Amino acid sequence: MIEFHNVTKRYEGGYEALTNVSLNLGDGDMAFLTGHSGAGKSTLLKIIALIEKPTRGQALLNRINLNTVSRHRIPYIRRNIGIIFQDHQLLFDRPVFDNVALPLQIQGFRPQEVAKRTRAALDKVGLLHKEKSMPITLSGGEQQRVGIARAVVHKPMLLLADEPTGNLDPVLSREIMQIFVEFNQVGVTVLVASHDLGLIEELDKPRLTLNRGQLVLNDLEGEQQEDERGW
Amino acid sequence: MAGSNIRRFKPAASNRISAYFSHHLQSLVFSLGKIYQSPATTIMTVAVIGITLSLPGGFYLFLKNIDAMSGDFRSSSQISLYLDLDIDEKRARALNKDIAAMAQVESTRFISREQSLEEFRQNSGFGKSIDTLSSNPLPHTIIVEPVEADTFTVRNLLGSLQAMPEVEIAKLDTEWLERLYTIVEIAKRSVMIVTILFACAVLLIIGNTIRLDIQNRYQEIIVTKLIGATDAFIRRPFLYGGVWYGLLGGIISWLIVELGYLAISGPLQRLNLLYQSEMTLITFSFQDFVVLITSSTLLGLAGSWIAVARHLRQIEPS
Repeated sequence: MIEFHNVTKRYEGGYEALTNVSLNLGDGDMAFLTGHSGAGKSTLLKIIALIEKPTRGQALLNRINLNTVSRHRIPYIRRNIGIIFQDHQLLFDRPVFDNVALPLQIQGFRPQEVAKRTRAALDKVGLLHKEKSMPITLSGGEQQRVGIARAVVHKPMLLLADEPTGNLDPVLSREIMQIFVEFNQVGVTVLVASHDLGLIEELDKPRLTLNRGQLVLNDLEGEQQEDERGW
Repeated sequence: MAGSNIRRFKPAASNRISAYFSHHLQSLVFSLGKIYQSPATTIMTVAVIGITLSLPGGFYLFLKNIDAMSGDFRSSSQISLYLDLDIDEKRARALNKDIAAMAQVESTRFISREQSLEEFRQNSGFGKSIDTLSSNPLPHTIIVEPVEADTFTVRNLLGSLQAMPEVEIAKLDTEWLERLYTIVEIAKRSVMIVTILFACAVLLIIGNTIRLDIQNRYQEIIVTKLIGATDAFIRRPFLYGGVWYGLLGGIISWLIVELGYLAISGPLQRLNLLYQSEMTLITFSFQDFVVLITSSTLLGLAGSWIAVARHLRQIEPS
């Protein structure tokens, strides 16, 4: 699903966020992306979500070269990804239902179909009874679940989450992570960036650890990258 | 994305087409809802557009009226012949007959010196001062009505009448009309310039309003881009917003012009009475109304298009 070959990302001004990162996340896999803040987690996710392009190296999403994707194809590729943000990024001017329905409307589903799938997604995160509420009236955990419902409503092949539990207490965090595990169990590829190490240990999923832009631990490919820890 | 293996879940084509129209409808209603939610901004924008468009609209109506009025005069191109003062009435009447017999002349009317003086005394209000004059200063006058002809023929006739020894002055009464036409022509051009300028102003007003709208919805644009919205999808509600502004502004400008017309029509009727004329003010025809509303709506669309093209591309998730 996701292949990185020696990907380096250098921002304008010379700051190198990623250095020679190679990884391979297969279809249906689930992995955690860890590392302290500034290690390059967000940059890695941004490259997958086509927000940034690699400076060097090659990034592939389902064998599509992300380095050379043309501007007008970007929306169509993004439709296969569900993105969950730390700060939910909900639209506060419309009710929960409309927030979750947005990806389906963008993709041109019929209103009846939109309603059906939106309710199914809200049901999945346990918020069907809140469909008419405005996001501002919801708790932080509920807002994050709305964000998840929006990310999965169009049944993406890949779920990306950037610190999804960053603002939540441990009980809520565990709930949220459990939802990701459930999606993974039905075949969705999941990549979660998080520094909640305790929770990650509990879930026993492969880890990718970044340190100052370098991949220092890659559970997906056993210990073969251990040699590269030359810093 | 043709030939891609990444798409495994998408609506059927027929669904997408009906959904395309349904999104157009949604955008239409959504943008109207946005306008309804911020009435103060909307009213101000729409009022500015309305006032701006009412100026060229009003000028246009004014010219249309002038045109209609001068059209009434155009058919009458009389020539007035003022004869030499030393020609007696008998000879003048004979000349009148000769001229009336000319091929290019439809009819003539003879006004003797005494008649002229009498008319002048009654109509001018200078009766007392006329009485103090020792002799009648007015000449015999022949009013010549040419046969229906083009300006060139009439001018030829004017030339040959002027050449007659008995004729002191031959005057074509349409000369002032032609000057009026020239002035109207200048006014028309000016109105065209004003219209273009004000159309540009409306374009800028709407463009600026939409630009602010885009800035206010920055976050929404980012989020929708991240979940796979195409540029066209994001553009749509803003374009419809511009259409609404243009449409409402056009209606306001129409109302302003109609109200102005009502305000003028009272005094004009009194003026009509004074001049014993039958001038009637012409207002917007249905066609004019359609043109006004359509062009203001198109201006709205164009203004928002410019704003959207300039600013939407710059907003990218980072």
